[in-house]
Amino acid sequence: MAIIDPIEVGLAAGWQHVDAGFLDKDKHFDADVVIVGTGAGGGTAAEILSQAGLKVLMIEAGGLKSSRHFDMEERTAYPNLYQQAAAMKTADKGIGIFQGRTVGGSTTINWTTSIRTPAPTLDFWQQQRSVSGLTTSSLQPWFEMMEQRLNIHQWDYQPNKNNAVLRDGCKKLGWQHTVIKRNVKGCWNTGYCGMGCPVNAKQSMLVTTIPSALNAGAVLVSRAKVTDIAHRQDNVTSLSAIAQNEFGQPTGVKLTFSARHYVLSAGAIHTPTLLMRAKTPDPHLLLGQTFLHPTLLSGAIFDEQVNGHSGAPQSIYSDEFVWSDGAAGALGYKLESAPVHPILIASKTIGFGESHAQLMAQFNHLQVIIALVRDGFNQDSPGGRIRLTDNSFALDYPLNDAFWQVAKRAFKSMAQLQFAAGAKQVLSMSDGQSMVSSLTQAEHAIDNMEIGLLKTIVASAHVMGGCPMGEDKTQAMIGSNGQSHYLENLSVFDGSMFPTSLGANPQLSIYAIVAKNATALAKKLIR
Amino acid sequence: MNRRTFITGAFVSTAALAVGVNLSTSFTRQEHVQSSHRMLFATLIPIFLDGALPDVATHKEQAINRTLNTIEATINVLPQEQREEITLLLNMLESRFSLLLITGSLTPLILRQPFELIDMLESWRQHFITLLNTAYLGLREVIMASYYASPEHWGRLQYVKPTFVVGDN
Repeated sequence: MAIIDPIEVGLAAGWQHVDAGFLDKDKHFDADVVIVGTGAGGGTAAEILSQAGLKVLMIEAGGLKSSRHFDMEERTAYPNLYQQAAAMKTADKGIGIFQGRTVGGSTTINWTTSIRTPAPTLDFWQQQRSVSGLTTSSLQPWFEMMEQRLNIHQWDYQPNKNNAVLRDGCKKLGWQHTVIKRNVKGCWNTGYCGMGCPVNAKQSMLVTTIPSALNAGAVLVSRAKVTDIAHRQDNVTSLSAIAQNEFGQPTGVKLTFSARHYVLSAGAIHTPTLLMRAKTPDPHLLLGQTFLHPTLLSGAIFDEQVNGHSGAPQSIYSDEFVWSDGAAGALGYKLESAPVHPILIASKTIGFGESHAQLMAQFNHLQVIIALVRDGFNQDSPGGRIRLTDNSFALDYPLNDAFWQVAKRAFKSMAQLQFAAGAKQVLSMSDGQSMVSSLTQAEHAIDNMEIGLLKTIVASAHVMGGCPMGEDKTQAMIGSNGQSHYLENLSVFDGSMFPTSLGANPQLSIYAIVAKNATALAKKLIR
Repeated sequence: MNRRTFITGAFVSTAALAVGVNLSTSFTRQEHVQSSHRMLFATLIPIFLDGALPDVATHKEQAINRTLNTIEATINVLPQEQREEITLLLNMLESRFSLLLITGSLTPLILRQPFELIDMLESWRQHFITLLNTAYLGLREVIMASYYASPEHWGRLQYVKPTFVVGDN
């Protein structure tokens, strides 16, 4: 069945899109508002600001790819749509990081899980991080607005087997679990969300707010990497960027941008990196403190087929262990499922040769649970720190004893859940571990496991923090409204604003908070 | 099997120390790498993928060649710093002096027996020196990911992507 590609249709209708990779000479752009990045924050802001009548220009380092490019193959998706071809890691290689790098940002390649900011997180920010005006009740209309805008509803279909295991295990054990809300419309339930939705059912920024902004006259400049922020006294004066080719390498063409107001929505790594490289004021050295929800994996083999590649990738989660000891207490973890595709599984499992081949041969019987550890809420979990390198950045994220302790607890919980749901064998993804056939064996193996850096598989798909919000300048770079504390015409609208991790998948939190803050900014700019 | 039969074309310069992914065949090669690196990977692929590669010799050779091509493409899309890391690793694995330091033997990897290579990889995997752990993981990830990137290699997985969507690809 042929799918209509809304991006092709829009471009044919005259959208203003400049692919910087094809420019052959330097170029300057002017706008009322320039937005750097087109992910959850940039896309949301672009729609709101352009519909308020402002001349908006969006800059995206990645390319403009759309459903006709989304061929449901990892080998195409990772280099085309992910930061560093999905090979991004922390400096010590201990954590693999998945983040989008395409028009629509991570919303183009995420698994559609949409969860409101947990109340304990909002309370903690208000009490400990000087955040103001962002409470469950004050955000409710913004959550409702964005849920309606992006068709976010509870997934009412049967979960696939990969998620049914999570639900069934929780039911048997009496653990909390929730049916996930997803931002989809007319979903075909194929399971390839992580490679870009081939049927435009996922209500990502790519097919919702960005087309809306372009229809309202906004300009999109793709394959342009912003490299510098010029600033004088208390104002940004211009941005500089370089054009990039298909491989992300500079073409030699330089771009400059001027605007009344500038919005950084480049994500929780690149927004702080950009501010650091531009030497913007940071008297309390707050830029770059990053949170990842570092995530553990547990695989299980079932007698029946699981087909973890097929169907909505995530439709159930459990918060049984997230807040057990309160927000500032012992580290907690959220349980979710992860889709099973060949490269993802081959590279995020353990061993080589015959043992690995045997695991892969059971591919369609493999079920995967992940445990996402919430970080940033106490001294045991300070998160990571971005630093500049000659040409780029590095993220130092030491995995400390507190993390490894919670990792062992998480492995036990995941094994308990998988056996409760009927697993025949369970494998904790940490080098040296073997398949075990009972919970008793699993607990013994986990107690004695040689857990640690480069032994234990740790991944992240949620990069947060780096430019924290709050009213106290000793704790925050931007106000709770996203406005920079130091540069009057600069706002930060992306996941870098979070003062801690969320304890939940981030996209809906970004949508709602940015919708609130961008609406206030629009009112201010059109006065 | 003659490992040199796998050296079928121009080769890119490095392998990913931190990789997990591959590039569409529609991408053009941007740079070429020493053929010695291709030989090195051709030596290691049968070790990492023992039990996964096809049993029939010609199919096995084709699978290894496809994997080598994918490794080449993978490296092309990595950021400069990662490419430099991989180049460093591969150069170390091809330098007799470095090999002596990290494996205790001057014998080039391409001349070693499979059991010797397995022992070497197991030693790196368990080693207390982080650099060796990283070398093992880097080679493992790029080889595993590059092999399983190809639909031709999904037969044993019984994994196929849906065919009901018609697009350009």
